[in-house]
Amino acid sequence: MNDELWMEQLAAEAALENSAPASSCLKSKIYSNMILAMEEGGPLLPLPDTKQAGRALCVFEHLVEILPAPDSVQSLQYCKVCHAKALGERMENAPIYWPGCPYCEFQNR
Amino acid sequence: MPDDRALAAAMLARDRKAAAEFVQRFSGPLVAYVRSRLQPRWEDVDDIVQDSFLTALRSIANYRGDSPLRAWLLGIARHKVEDHYRARLRLVELPEEGELAGDPGLDSLIDRANAGARASAILCSLPEHYRLVLLWRYWDQRSASEMAALTGKTVKSMERLLARARAEFRTQWLEKDKEVAA
Repeated sequence: MNDELWMEQLAAEAALENSAPASSCLKSKIYSNMILAMEEGGPLLPLPDTKQAGRALCVFEHLVEILPAPDSVQSLQYCKVCHAKALGERMENAPIYWPGCPYCEFQNR
Repeated sequence: MPDDRALAAAMLARDRKAAAEFVQRFSGPLVAYVRSRLQPRWEDVDDIVQDSFLTALRSIANYRGDSPLRAWLLGIARHKVEDHYRARLRLVELPEEGELAGDPGLDSLIDRANAGARASAILCSLPEHYRLVLLWRYWDQRSASEMAALTGKTVKSMERLLARARAEFRTQWLEKDKEVAA
């Protein structure tokens, strides 16, 4: 067997090692940047519509969602001013525990 | 893939929680793939993963749902990894013609259980340009002519680089064989 064929066979049979999981900091940063990119394309889906789609809101979002506020308010991204975002982007196993908060769900606990 | 289509549609509607689900579901496979292709230069992994997600978001309208969303996203990551290979290999001076070793004598069967770990270890120990061409050619299955075109090199010089990289890989593989046998 020549080395070309041997390498082809080896690559076909040998899955390379890649054991580390995605860090919660990385997931948090990706999410924050995706939301920024989404906002550049227009307002986010209002919170009542997000809830109606069956997706969980965090306690702060829920407070906004029950307000009789227009879509312009319901579409704002409140995570920007939340400590969960700041901690999630900087710490693994950040001490954040809000149900419905993406930054909490990204933790690899 | 109805779930995937629904998730893509929700992202297109700029549903923030859909974006969170997207990151949570696919960051693991994406990091695993990119890490395996960039080893041991892990400092570039996060940037490539992040860039892949942002590209996916910008292109989500093109997702038709005829393949799993995970495969579609991995396809984007693969292009990003190739961009990385291309950028790194463009800088490399390719070898002049010269004699290479003859028959490698690699008829021994690949030990499947340990092949991945051993291949990873050897790839990590190779010079970067050898490692990148081997990953690109054999694990991502690009032909030498495609690799040459994408890096602005000649096919001949790319084939020579591949031959040298294989020879170095092979030497180290056989040394490991001897260590195991000893």
